[in-house]
Amino acid sequence: MEAQRTLTVGGTNWVVSVPPITEAGNNYSGTYESAANEILLTATIPLLLGTGKVSMHYEANPAWNPGLILSARRTGNGTSPCTTCTITGGTTYTTIPLTTDVELFRITAVLALASYTNIPIQLQLSGVSVTIPAATYSSRIVFTISAL
Amino acid sequence: MNSARLIALTGLCLACRLVSQTTGNRTVTLTLPVVTLMDVEPAGTISLNYAAPSEAGNALTVPPANTTKWINYTSAILPGGATRRITASINQLIPGTDIRIQAAAASGSGGGTLGVPSGPVILTTAAQTLISGIGGAFTGNGANNGHRLTISIAVSTYANFTARTNTPVVIVYTITE
Repeated sequence: MEAQRTLTVGGTNWVVSVPPITEAGNNYSGTYESAANEILLTATIPLLLGTGKVSMHYEANPAWNPGLILSARRTGNGTSPCTTCTITGGTTYTTIPLTTDVELFRITAVLALASYTNIPIQLQLSGVSVTIPAATYSSRIVFTISAL
Repeated sequence: MNSARLIALTGLCLACRLVSQTTGNRTVTLTLPVVTLMDVEPAGTISLNYAAPSEAGNALTVPPANTTKWINYTSAILPGGATRRITASINQLIPGTDIRIQAAAASGSGGGTLGVPSGPVILTTAAQTLISGIGGAFTGNGANNGHRLTISIAVSTYANFTARTNTPVVIVYTITE
């Protein structure tokens, strides 16, 4: 059996609630945040591999507008039985690019299997404006664990 | 290792490989509705009063134009949808007097595809276009945002003039496709 890094994506899909505009002349506030634990990641790094990084990108699903900017950040460490392992990075918002992966955080295993469960991820959506055509937009945020 | 055990071990390893996932996803969904909002700021009435001449033979003195009103709007349209326009009309004509209105180009804190003002319009009871070509846009809220209005009166036909006091004229603005 080949040991390999694993990643499980849990939590919920985010349906962004945008309060209606009630005053002529106003625009949307523009930036919205999900719950701090909207997405829960569980990652494992086998001892032999030592390190790993979790990256992300988004894909239109099926329609998205490039003016809508998605970002994500890690709001906690989750839980891990490994006291010598570390999880670093990603605590400030990182813009999620289209198609091309960007690193969100990395995990280092020290003399143990690094296993972090329920790493909370918060999402942010910015660029919401009436200048974007009225429609329903959906995107898929893809998280991937890989070697550094 | 006999062949049966080898097949079983291979199957187990294949299963381990299949259940080990390195990627996953969650979706983000957002619905932006059609928005059509317009108002005139600040609220309240304006007064435009002719002044009687003090010298026989002189004409009435026309009051200066009022420039205190601003049109604010927020517009979100469907993809490829028609642009909007703003029309104006009045509820009654005053004999001998033209009521004129003109919108200036948008200014202030707005953005998007803002409307383009038409030229000066002499108001009638029929709606006339004041601003057109409004796409997805917002003007900003309140005075000094949006399109400043210049509203004035002028004598059209002296022969039709009659003395009158406090004649309220309602200007109706409408945003439409």
